Amino acid sequence: MDISKVTSVRKDCLEILEDHHEELSPLKGKTLVITGGTGFLGTWISEVIATLNDEYSYGTQLTLIARGTDHFKNAKKHLAERKDVHLIKSDVRNLTELPKETDWLVHAASNPDNRFHATNPIETMSAIADGTSAVLRAADRCENIKMFLNVSSGLIYGSLPLEVKAVAETYNGAPVSGSTASAYAAAKRYAETFVAAARTQAQIPCMSVRPFAFLGPYQSLETPWALNNFLHDALAGNPVRVFGDGQSVRSYLYGSDAAFWILKILTHGQSGDCYNVGSAEGVSLEQLARKIASCFDPAPEIRLKTSNTVQQVSSFVPDLSLAIKKHALEVKVSLDSALKKTIQWHQNKN
Amino acid sequence: MKSVLISDPTLRDGNHAVAHQLDREQIATYCKAVDKAGVPIVEVGHGNGIGASSLQLGESKVTDEVALTTARENLKKSKLGIHCIPGFATIKKDLQRAIDIGVDVVRVASHCTEADLTDRHISFVREKGKTVYGVLMMSHMVSPQILAEQARKMENYGAEAVIIMDSAGHYLPNDVTERVHVLLQELSIPIGFHAHNNLGVGIANSIAALEAGASILDGSARGFGAGAGNAQLEVLVAVLEKMGYSTGINLYDILDAADIAEKTLMSSVPMISSTSVVSGLAGVFSGFMKPVQRIAKEYNLDPRDVFFELGKRKIIAGQEDLIIEVAMDLAKVAK
Amino acid sequence: MKKLKVAILGSGNIGTDLLIKVMRSPVLECGAFIGRNLNSAGMAKAQSMGVQVSAESIRYIEKNPQCCDLVFDATSAKDHLFHAPILEGLGKIAIDLTPAKIGEMCVPAVNMQDCLNLKNINMVTCGGQASIPVAYAIGQTQGEVDYIEVVSSIASRSAGPATRINLDEYIHTTEEGVRKFSKAHRTKAILNLNPAQPCINMQTTILAKCASPNIEKLKPELNKIVKIIQRYVPGYELIVGPVLENSRIVVMVRVKGLGDYLPAYAGNLDIINCAAVAMSEEFAKLLTGGTFNMNKKATKNEVSTH
Repeated sequence: MDISKVTSVRKDCLEILEDHHEELSPLKGKTLVITGGTGFLGTWISEVIATLNDEYSYGTQLTLIARGTDHFKNAKKHLAERKDVHLIKSDVRNLTELPKETDWLVHAASNPDNRFHATNPIETMSAIADGTSAVLRAADRCENIKMFLNVSSGLIYGSLPLEVKAVAETYNGAPVSGSTASAYAAAKRYAETFVAAARTQAQIPCMSVRPFAFLGPYQSLETPWALNNFLHDALAGNPVRVFGDGQSVRSYLYGSDAAFWILKILTHGQSGDCYNVGSAEGVSLEQLARKIASCFDPAPEIRLKTSNTVQQVSSFVPDLSLAIKKHALEVKVSLDSALKKTIQWHQNKN
Repeated sequence: MKSVLISDPTLRDGNHAVAHQLDREQIATYCKAVDKAGVPIVEVGHGNGIGASSLQLGESKVTDEVALTTARENLKKSKLGIHCIPGFATIKKDLQRAIDIGVDVVRVASHCTEADLTDRHISFVREKGKTVYGVLMMSHMVSPQILAEQARKMENYGAEAVIIMDSAGHYLPNDVTERVHVLLQELSIPIGFHAHNNLGVGIANSIAALEAGASILDGSARGFGAGAGNAQLEVLVAVLEKMGYSTGINLYDILDAADIAEKTLMSSVPMISSTSVVSGLAGVFSGFMKPVQRIAKEYNLDPRDVFFELGKRKIIAGQEDLIIEVAMDLAKVAK
Repeated sequence: MKKLKVAILGSGNIGTDLLIKVMRSPVLECGAFIGRNLNSAGMAKAQSMGVQVSAESIRYIEKNPQCCDLVFDATSAKDHLFHAPILEGLGKIAIDLTPAKIGEMCVPAVNMQDCLNLKNINMVTCGGQASIPVAYAIGQTQGEVDYIEVVSSIASRSAGPATRINLDEYIHTTEEGVRKFSKAHRTKAILNLNPAQPCINMQTTILAKCASPNIEKLKPELNKIVKIIQRYVPGYELIVGPVLENSRIVVMVRVKGLGDYLPAYAGNLDIINCAAVAMSEEFAKLLTGGTFNMNKKATKNEVSTH
């Protein structure tokens, strides 16, 4: 990876940890394991842990378990080659053992790519359901485990109408049952309940977090999400195309914020807790496209309704008051700043 | 008129205060008095319930059989209740016999995270056609949601009500209100509350429980119970009367019964000692006091500081070996 | 040296932990690891160790009787009642880790020799394995023993659904075992499940009331038997006593597990497995004419007993 990219990510981590690094002290000298650890979230958590170890002598050992460790070794050498980062190549469904010394565990293994969900709903559901079950069984035999953090999804609330400006953890909505479009979200709901079952029966300390959309370096622009499409178009010097009327509302949390939130909740939450994680700064897709365009000079043209299909307008913004109240969390990187950082990172490619 | 079911653990929880030495005559005398007053449920037995008389916890002066038979003979209107903790009491050895003697109400108890231990005992009592309640002890140690989850297990096993115990005397009224609310939301059976008076709010907490929707309250004569004691029964009855609740208990008779209790059952009336305040505030098992005092002296620390740190770390009975670790950590900080 | 072939029935946590202990033994070899679900974590572990696995339950042994001479049954009491006559018919020695109680109660430190001519032996309970040797020493040295009480505390996380639902049976069996080996008039067993984090190690307190307690007489006998247990349960440790408190004898032991497949705090599960393996090793010595003996430390060397 380009050294300037490594430096810019480290700078992000230092900014997020400034004045707050002591809040993660329960990680000092402990072993953190992340399943699906080579993905966006796992990588950002790795960056934060690396920063804590280098700058604040945390002495935290990190183990990343994933199928994609080979790619990680090539693409993220600066992390893969660290002495405090250990890689285990495994499909979580086949995982029978976790490192015995595991203190903290973030279970983030699942493929968020909606193209994969559409083509492969069976595999999507199995990876989440069987994967969660296998990791919990292994965690049950870890003597020191202090918390099993299940990374669920904001999609478990089902499709949200525009009136729901911010969805709280207590919201009573769900993905449509029996619809193949629900494969990912329904499996995530199953996983949350499974984790609660393990908590009450096997007494493994467990929590869930429900991430909404994230943004930042390490996110591949390939997945056809609106944000990626816009960035992709703009970075290629093309007009930014907005399908539909652009009135759906989304929000995006920057990678360093996301990693800090997850680690803070992991180390300070109570067994049984469940928190939304994301940004409360809602933005319509049209506004998002304009914000992205304004980062470029000259600004690319915005084309609305480039597709004829009638798109359902929806909202996908979390209510964060629970996490903010209980853990004094804040979003440090604004959407504007997050977009700028992300664009710069991608422009550094060459 | 709103009504509330009063259960009186004087002859059970109070046994803690006299090292389980209540005898046949004391049981008979008190039972007669509260039976006359119309107390609906009278709990009798070793402080930790039937089957708990042991060298570890203290041996009862009289066997369960004698205690229950005596109580049965002297309770005409009042129902006879027992406390039963699986792990101490078994169905075959203890519960079956208690039911044969004529126990009406069995309160099957567990630590607040271990409700699944009560499955078979609750089922057994239910099948015998007796009234069975679930009891969650040390209920302050888990969140209201987890408490509700555990209570729901008891409901599924067939408990007719669930009683939460403030075993360490840690709650303030707001804590009780919050828990009772969540429990009522999650369960469809009545909720009860058992207070301890470490912070002087035994009655206030009981009223908070009631106003939040609880319908069973425990109270002991003169507060006779472990440590700082329970909610004081005769005061509770008076307060409830003033608030317009019906308890079915005659005020004058219960005041008389409390006087009798003071005279015949206790060597001293429960009071809130400094130790009780600290253990209540810290939410820690009061039995830690002696080892904490010894170890604090050794490390030149204030034992109260050690207690609060134990509370923060959610230390519970059985983890005595961690007191030294906590003391060492505190000593390190002090330097 | 020829090894004794054993099979393990039950691929849960207990069975899998047994497997690891068997694989480490110089005198045992695992001929089959048998359960009901080939996809379980235990099966995966067995396969990774190159052990023959089967999901056919007892049928596998019926079809392949040459796979073993001794069978550990780590299923359930109900299943063992079904397995026992079949194993007997096949001439296999059965070491029963369930609460079925068909066979003689076996505590290696106390009655190993008596059990070697039996075809079905029962490993009592975890609390029994921890407390019976102490109760036995009390019975041997104190003359008339009126009462023995054993109180065990185990980590809540180490008590699975089977332990929880069988709590009463645990108490009754432990009381029976303590009575049988100590000759005390009355016995009482208590089990506490402790949900504390970090998890506590298993602790057992043994309290005894005797007509004329004699601590000095008890000490050498107790030390002797503790040393014998430590040969097969390295994490067994005397932490209090014997002392006299209020004219009662008090002894407290702690059992730290080996941490083979189960976490180290699950000393309660480890001790019963260690005892079962110790018995099977003695059978091996007897049946294969090997030279293995109990006086040799045959367990993981990195485990400290302190």
